Amino acid sequence: MPPEPLLLAFDTSAAHCAAALLCGERLLAARTEPMARGQAERLLPLLEEVLAEGGAGWPDLAGLGVCIGPGNFTGVRISVATARGLSLSLGRPAIGVSRLEALAFGLPGPVLALVDARQERLYAQLFGAGESAPRMTDADTLAAEAWPEGLTVTGAGAAALAARLGARAAGESDAPAPEALARLALARLGQPAPRPAPLYLRPADAALPSEKPPAILP
Amino acid sequence: MDRTLTLLGLESSCDDTAAAVVRGRPGGAGEILSSVVSGQAELHADFGGVVPEIAARAHAERLDLCVERALEEAGLSLADVDAIAVTAGPGLIGGVVSGVMCAKGLAAGAGLPLIGVNHLSGHALTPRLTDGLAYPYLMLLVSGGHCQFLAVEGPDSFRRLGGTIDDAPGEAFDKVAKMLALGYPGGPAVEREAAAGDAARFAFPRPLLDRPDCDFSFSGLKTAVRRARDRIVAEKGGLTVQDRADLCAGFQQAVAEVVAEKTRRACRLFAQAHGPRTLAVAGGVAANAVLRAALTGAAEGEGFGFLAPPLRLCTDNGAMIAWAGLEQLGLRGPDDMALGARPRWPLDAAAAAMLGSGRKGAKA
Repeated sequence: MPPEPLLLAFDTSAAHCAAALLCGERLLAARTEPMARGQAERLLPLLEEVLAEGGAGWPDLAGLGVCIGPGNFTGVRISVATARGLSLSLGRPAIGVSRLEALAFGLPGPVLALVDARQERLYAQLFGAGESAPRMTDADTLAAEAWPEGLTVTGAGAAALAARLGARAAGESDAPAPEALARLALARLGQPAPRPAPLYLRPADAALPSEKPPAILP
Repeated sequence: MDRTLTLLGLESSCDDTAAAVVRGRPGGAGEILSSVVSGQAELHADFGGVVPEIAARAHAERLDLCVERALEEAGLSLADVDAIAVTAGPGLIGGVVSGVMCAKGLAAGAGLPLIGVNHLSGHALTPRLTDGLAYPYLMLLVSGGHCQFLAVEGPDSFRRLGGTIDDAPGEAFDKVAKMLALGYPGGPAVEREAAAGDAARFAFPRPLLDRPDCDFSFSGLKTAVRRARDRIVAEKGGLTVQDRADLCAGFQQAVAEVVAEKTRRACRLFAQAHGPRTLAVAGGVAANAVLRAALTGAAEGEGFGFLAPPLRLCTDNGAMIAWAGLEQLGLRGPDDMALGARPRWPLDAAAAAMLGSGRKGAKA
């Protein structure tokens, strides 16, 4: 019997640095450290600590899981860039996992997952019955829409929105458990995976020139 | 101890994603085995300048591809590399962070030492990579983001003799191009227009020539061009092609004269300590032929040699980062995995801050 694959997953998509190590279905180590800044400095040392806790080293990994957001742009890039570098040097796949999907993981469907998008906005996605694409929206828009029977709402502002929808709320945190990321990535290990890319859902903040260029006369 | 080393270098501090493999001996000659640069000009063209978030998004998804290509073109794998060097600042932080993290992932997975390099030191040490120039020498960095004179005295020893107190000249070229309905990047467009223009038609200022130091200011010059443009537009309802050529020529001439005069002063200041040596240039603005001629003349007039590396090594690239890492590794050893990205990182920590001298310290 081949040894169980070892998979390391990590996430810096919000004010935390999180990682989990799986050996097959078995969780060897998991850590979530809240931090408003400093994820770039902390991530690799944290990953090495988690590996050491599981008695493993970098070459032992069969694959990587990485949270691709949505969330803090720089935070998402910290993890995605790290995962792509590790994937290249280890010759192992890096599997991108959506933060919304990780939030919904393990909950009975249908599940509406919510992530705080700042400025009174939410990133939202429905899983299970009538699954939708992830999008940026707000609570009022969501409250006005029709939702399937037996809906569970999880993540940022879940309790308030669930009350408006007559749905069930499950957890107010929009930081997924790193274990959920790892299990989702593990399930995809061995399938062809594109290189992980950030899931932004919000266009880059860039203003076109406000001033019109002068007319050029012949 | 000075054995031949092979370094992979990553660069992502502005709008070029780059990776390169360089082989050489610290203090000796260097050989570029590959140098891959993935530019982003087309992503920023509509905005008339680099948009940091757009740049960061592109870097995060291109860095590993550039590294892969650089290794492939060098015919090497990471197992053949001795260390990984990466730009750790100064620059646009979103890009620098992506580069540092990608490099950490590469170094951790391959079990290689990692060294964070100051982007400016990459430019400043390029003449040693390309021409084996001996220390000390005088360096003028003149690009879209930077403008400073450095006495380069060792791989990690730089003395700033002067620099800009506001815009970099490349930035001024871009802004002038934008206000004259020319494309982006503005440098080549302004130079092309200026070739058909009369540099004497507009009396643009020569900022800071009244001060005896080696410092620059380009912000006021840019405003003067805008005022001249507005006067013509108010009168004619637009600019004729000739008006535009004359504005470009006048602006370019003003930049060239100021840079040439400040270069003479920097040469004299440098010569007080070291005697006349070589003036080397780096940065995209060094590609401007008029400016280059003015710089050559100024340096030669002061008894200095003039050295301009090939353009592809004057603009941002990974080879200069690999080379700087190669020269600096023996001096200060590798960084650990807590290496951070620094938006601000002056090369000469002892010099007084000229830009961004607030709570966060000097920019560059």
